[in-house]
Amino acid sequence: MANQLLEVKGVDVSYGDIQVLWDVSLQVEEGTIVALVGANGAGKTTLLKTISGLLRVRKGEILFSGENLHNLKPQEIVDRGVIHVPEGRRLFASLTVKENLRLGAYIPRTRPFFAESLERVFSLFPVLKNRKDQKAGTLSGGEQQMLAIGRAVMAHPKLVMLDEPSLGLSPILVKTIFELIRTLNEQKITILLVEQNVNQALKIAHQAYVLKNGKIVMCGKGCDLLTNEEIIKAYIGERATKRKG
Amino acid sequence: MTKYRSGLFKSLIPSHFKRSHLNIVITVLVIIVFGTIPFYIDVDNSFFAYYLFICFCYIALSQGWNLVAGYTGQISLGGHAFFALGAYTTAIIWLNDLTKTWYYFDPVVMVISGLVPVIFAIIIGTPLLSRLRGDYFSFGTLAAAEVLRIVILKGGSFTQGAMGLRLPASSFSSMYPYYWTGFLLAIFATATVYLITRSRIGLALRALNEDETSAASHGVQILFYKIFAFAVSAFLAGVCGSLFAYYLFIVSPLGIMNLNWMFYPILICVLGGNGTIAGPIIGAFVVGAIFSYGDVFVGQIHPMITGILIILVMKFMPTGIMGLKDKIFTRR
Amino acid sequence: MDVITQVVINGILLGTMYGIAAIGLSLIFGTMRIVFIAQGAVIVFFGYLCYWLFSLLGIDPYLSLIIVIPVALLLGTAFYYVLFKEAAALKDRIGSLLIAVGLMFFLENFMTVVWSPNPRAVVTSYGFVVFHLLGLNLTLTRLIGLLLALLATLGVFLFLNKTLIGTAVRATSEDVEASTLMGINPNRVNAVAMAIGIGLSAVAGINLATTYSFDPVYGFDIAIKALVALTLGGIGTMYGALLGGIFIGIIETMGSYYVGAGWAQAIVFAVFLLTLTLRPYGIFGRSSQKA
Repeated sequence: MANQLLEVKGVDVSYGDIQVLWDVSLQVEEGTIVALVGANGAGKTTLLKTISGLLRVRKGEILFSGENLHNLKPQEIVDRGVIHVPEGRRLFASLTVKENLRLGAYIPRTRPFFAESLERVFSLFPVLKNRKDQKAGTLSGGEQQMLAIGRAVMAHPKLVMLDEPSLGLSPILVKTIFELIRTLNEQKITILLVEQNVNQALKIAHQAYVLKNGKIVMCGKGCDLLTNEEIIKAYIGERATKRKG
Repeated sequence: MTKYRSGLFKSLIPSHFKRSHLNIVITVLVIIVFGTIPFYIDVDNSFFAYYLFICFCYIALSQGWNLVAGYTGQISLGGHAFFALGAYTTAIIWLNDLTKTWYYFDPVVMVISGLVPVIFAIIIGTPLLSRLRGDYFSFGTLAAAEVLRIVILKGGSFTQGAMGLRLPASSFSSMYPYYWTGFLLAIFATATVYLITRSRIGLALRALNEDETSAASHGVQILFYKIFAFAVSAFLAGVCGSLFAYYLFIVSPLGIMNLNWMFYPILICVLGGNGTIAGPIIGAFVVGAIFSYGDVFVGQIHPMITGILIILVMKFMPTGIMGLKDKIFTRR
Repeated sequence: MDVITQVVINGILLGTMYGIAAIGLSLIFGTMRIVFIAQGAVIVFFGYLCYWLFSLLGIDPYLSLIIVIPVALLLGTAFYYVLFKEAAALKDRIGSLLIAVGLMFFLENFMTVVWSPNPRAVVTSYGFVVFHLLGLNLTLTRLIGLLLALLATLGVFLFLNKTLIGTAVRATSEDVEASTLMGINPNRVNAVAMAIGIGLSAVAGINLATTYSFDPVYGFDIAIKALVALTLGGIGTMYGALLGGIFIGIIETMGSYYVGAGWAQAIVFAVFLLTLTLRPYGIFGRSSQKA
């Protein structure tokens, strides 16, 4: 059995008194792309925030390479190589592209690789190189998403968790982004992808989970789920599957 | 921001007593206890009675502040302005013989003293509440209060500037009217706030406060209710100021526009527990005890001690006493 | 014409004191959303420290910066870890305001007890040297004060823009959660911000001590004006805070000249309120700034 990089086991999460995740379990195998899909408000962002340490688990465990992650501070989690690219990008708009990338490599562990990582990011996203002294807030939506992903790459990550990277992007840009995600994966970065664009997500995912109202209701290989009738009805729609690509 | 929880007290006893019945019982008991104190304590010579009087005043001020915090979602830092306006109104009316009545503890004067701050609240509140958010609003109220302070200082013979106005202290005969008026004021303040929170206005405001988008479509109405809440707190503070003018017999910027009158209600609400009706009451008794007895025992370094106390309370009990009670009695 | 220019210049000099106080407030507020209303009291405290070093040990006020600034940085760090750490984490606005109030009460009373309520000032032998420049009279103390303020501002600017931690501070001011996801430790950043804020207070305090006379309760007045400067400039911009301070300084001196010192204060606050009504986020503020 291949290496399970990330294991979420029976996790309950609450916001104050309101429970949002119930007994959520999932595994991310090293080197794969795992998709987590579901409707708005299903709890996908909550789960990512719990893995990255912004939220605490009420119950359950999160393991990364066998080590307990759920009781670590967010900085320590980043230090382990788990990088969360949040929903809506959350770039530092008043900082330049270069400064944003610089902060991506804030953790001491990543600093020796700084120059190398910067080159890598600029070669993946040439447009960022052109705009490196521009304030991040002036970039277009697609460029911002690239910067957000680039920032994650700067952290020399083992696992990158992307929250809705396609949000607010035009279909062409969405395709570009997903191709980039595939490229990153080919460069040995494991990806946990949260998406509302179920179609695209399932296309590139090796494994996928469906989250509904805070519970995992389905899981399987990406291509299997893509042809699953329930999924199609609930999330994709008949017509979309008939469209190419 | 602070959200009002319905029901007077969080239930202490998670058992079969109906919460509403318990609340009524406790309320009646409290009223009886404090109402009958003057019958077995010599109010005139008792420091304890003075302490209770101060607490009643704090309750009135705090319920008002809590109402604004809960309903506008904003922190007002201008309470001392309303308090001062009430005190000065009383002093000016009395000294200038404006209403031709008997003045000392004249209810008409006290009501007018409550209404003048209301006017100020509406004038200041309308632009501030409609346009400013968060800290900008808070600083705005603070600045408005400071403008008032300077107007008072520069008020010439009208306000006697820094020296203040002196009222005929010979009118003082006993502490009893102070105790009773304070007591009634505290009850009035609590009842008013309670009724507002239970009323349609209260429920509507609460719902709208939590949902900004639907709030936007009801814009003008919300503004009206927010100003209303602001005005109520101004009225309560004004009447309290009037009462204090009767007590001190001197109305001056140093004593009446003292920032303490602004900070203490906030501390009381936080200590007692935001968003409850009982919180300000409990908080008032605790804070009142600390400050009035503290003044007696520690005197000159009193502010240092209270400063440390405030810090300690906020560090270790940020949810206040009611919050602490919740933690202890959680049924989980 | 000359007199007015003189008044304006004095206003600028006064305003830089408010300005650097406001920059400190801006840093503290930006990273931790704490309204550090004790800033004024802290400034006065450093004024007293400077006075004490001068009258007891004969240390020149400007040289005393060498001692005072490191003390200030340490004190700021201590303030954060001892007083504000929990409130910052909980984003407890009222709580942190009350803690700042508690600190203010404590400091004011402490200073009154230790140094008495009588006004003090630090008067150096060379302080009264006046330069005549372009028809204006500029005292040496005010010039040095201006220089110090500008140097301090420059220092903070360089720190924020050219160092990694400084960039982290800026990032945290904008979005705490996102900066946490970069692995930035919010406590460290907050402590740094507070340290710098208090450091700036030290500079303002030295300025205060050498230029004006002060007493223990003078601090609140400064704090309010610094708050006004910060708000006017637009919360979250450093240059906004400085410019806001200068603006206030000018209004105050002009007001004093034309209408008298008492009303000048009222005018400052009235202008503040008016500006807010017209521009609810301050002159330079953006509506995206969360207050």
